[in-house]
Amino acid sequence: MQQKILIVDDEAHIRMLIEQTLEELEDEGVEFLTAENGEIALEIIKEEKPNLVFLDVMMPKMNGMEVCRRVKKELGMEAVYIVLLTAKGQELDRLKGQEVGADVYMTKPFDPEVILNKAKEVLGIA
Amino acid sequence: MAQPTLKSILGKRSETTAWLKSWATLTGTDITVEDNQHNLLFCTENNPENEPAYPVQLEDEMMGWVKGKGEAAIMANLLSLMLQKEADKKKLGSEVLNLYQELNVIYNFSEKLSQTIDPDIIAQLTLEQAMHSIPSTSGVVISWDEESRRLEIPARAGAALFDESLLLGNSHLLLKIGLSGQSEIMHDISFLKQKGIVESDAQSLIYAAMKVKHRILGAIIMTDKNADQYTAAHLKLLVTLALQSSAAIESALLFEKNIREVREREEAILRIHEVTKKFVPNEFIRLLGKTSLTDVKLGDQAEKIVTVLFTDIRDFTTLSENMTPDENFRFVSSFNERLGPIIRLHQGFINQYLGDSIMAIFPRQPVDALNAAIAMQIAVYELNVERISQGLPIIKAGIGMHTGPLIMGITGDEHRLDAATISDTVNTAARIESLTKYYRSPLLLSGETLFQIADQDKFLLRQLGKVQLKGKYKLLSIVECLNGNPEKNLQKKIVTSAYFTDAMEAYFEQDFKNAIEIFQSIMAIDSEDYTALYFMENALRYQQSGVPENWNGAEEMVSK
Repeated sequence: MQQKILIVDDEAHIRMLIEQTLEELEDEGVEFLTAENGEIALEIIKEEKPNLVFLDVMMPKMNGMEVCRRVKKELGMEAVYIVLLTAKGQELDRLKGQEVGADVYMTKPFDPEVILNKAKEVLGIA
Repeated sequence: MAQPTLKSILGKRSETTAWLKSWATLTGTDITVEDNQHNLLFCTENNPENEPAYPVQLEDEMMGWVKGKGEAAIMANLLSLMLQKEADKKKLGSEVLNLYQELNVIYNFSEKLSQTIDPDIIAQLTLEQAMHSIPSTSGVVISWDEESRRLEIPARAGAALFDESLLLGNSHLLLKIGLSGQSEIMHDISFLKQKGIVESDAQSLIYAAMKVKHRILGAIIMTDKNADQYTAAHLKLLVTLALQSSAAIESALLFEKNIREVREREEAILRIHEVTKKFVPNEFIRLLGKTSLTDVKLGDQAEKIVTVLFTDIRDFTTLSENMTPDENFRFVSSFNERLGPIIRLHQGFINQYLGDSIMAIFPRQPVDALNAAIAMQIAVYELNVERISQGLPIIKAGIGMHTGPLIMGITGDEHRLDAATISDTVNTAARIESLTKYYRSPLLLSGETLFQIADQDKFLLRQLGKVQLKGKYKLLSIVECLNGNPEKNLQKKIVTSAYFTDAMEAYFEQDFKNAIEIFQSIMAIDSEDYTALYFMENALRYQQSGVPENWNGAEEMVSK
């Protein structure tokens, strides 16, 4: 079955950056999906069941925390690996991130290499 | 960079797919879209199998086909255009990512730099980062040391493609390439190879100057075995790293300089402190209840019972007559150098040097002063042994002491302060010292001092009666201490001490005849007992001309 990565951020350039960072995974047959707010993200997760979600925390219309909580706690989609992204300096969110069931937590500006390695690890690509 | 495919723009959730579907329905057109692998990506309900296929292209590359009637050709062009737009977007995205990565590198690099203040470590971090971001076979950081005016290599990495000794020895060349303040990618490095500075298998070279404003701190030089290894983006990044590193090195150097200056200043202050405490004794400051001379102010004072000791060189005037002022000064200095340590050893401190005499204070207990005085007498004796062997005249020192209250304080005015002692105890001690001339005894103490010495048996003492000092009504007992005399003299004094007590008793009872007889017998044993001689001469005088009215045995001292 085709592997999918969903990138959720209200800022277009961040979506583009992450997609560009992960570009080489396209050759491995990975499909990229994007969403610009929490509501759309939740719809796509329900329909497409992505393997990995890069989820921004600060977003209009349902923030990343809420999306994560619904996916992990309400929909019980434990298998969806969720990476929460927050701006540097908001490290207090870390605890809340654990509460809502996020798998890992990263700060922006992110190191592209770290993002790519995380995706490879989750998707089992060497 | 991967190019967009038709599949990527005609995904299930794609807006293009939705738009294509409604266009086909509205216009009643039957079309199919295939990619260049003949995978069917889109088709209407009726498959237009026998219709012509129109190519979809991206920069002359066949990306797929749209099959259908004439309108399909327009759709093929439209899809080509969309692929082109998508490709442009990707290209832009990739450039943004590059910038972002560079930003990230610089961000992390600054963070690392901020954690160190060692210029050499900064150079190493810089080279590590440069080698990581700009893959190279070999790299060095060369720094210019302002102080030693020499080149140094604080960091090196990768294979050794540089000849370091030539690099350092060839500052002229370096000034041209690395230290000119320029940064560039060198395409022709043959002259560097000819000089042997760079190994022959190096093919490309990049360098960036490290500078602050217009001052050159050094350069980062990297080289690679592949030709055309370096791009303009590499140069831009290297220049950024070099500039950041320069700023960090500059502040590290400033920091080092500040630390050094502070340390030098501290040392200077310490030296001043060392000197001032020699002028104003620490004990003096402590007795005032202060810890440092800087805390002391005009009017500070403290009162304490102390023993004041005076020493004086006998017949100094006669001695100094035969010396030049310089010899004189050195003579007094060498004398003071011998006695000073003895005073400190016995918990005393020197309050003042007054030419050939010393005034010392013993704040702890009177026996300290007496022990010090005995040790000083022995030291003078030893000095004399040396002087005799050099054919020099011997020295005699008189020591007198008295115990009583003393006020120590800071006196003077706003602009000139001095540590002063104001006390009758000082005057009395000075007068007792001058009595050593009359009694021809080198070591005298007052009854007050003796009274506070517990183990009097340890000392050989002779009571010399009382004196009335000039301008004073109170009588003062004077005690002679014989310890400190050379051993052979001491033996005779011990033998005669009982006679001496008897003689003094007879003397004070005005039984001068008896006193003279005993003094004579003492003199027969010890012809050098000048104290006995002094009292015998007095007794002879009183016997002949009678004692003054109200004679109480006390000597009236008129001088000093």
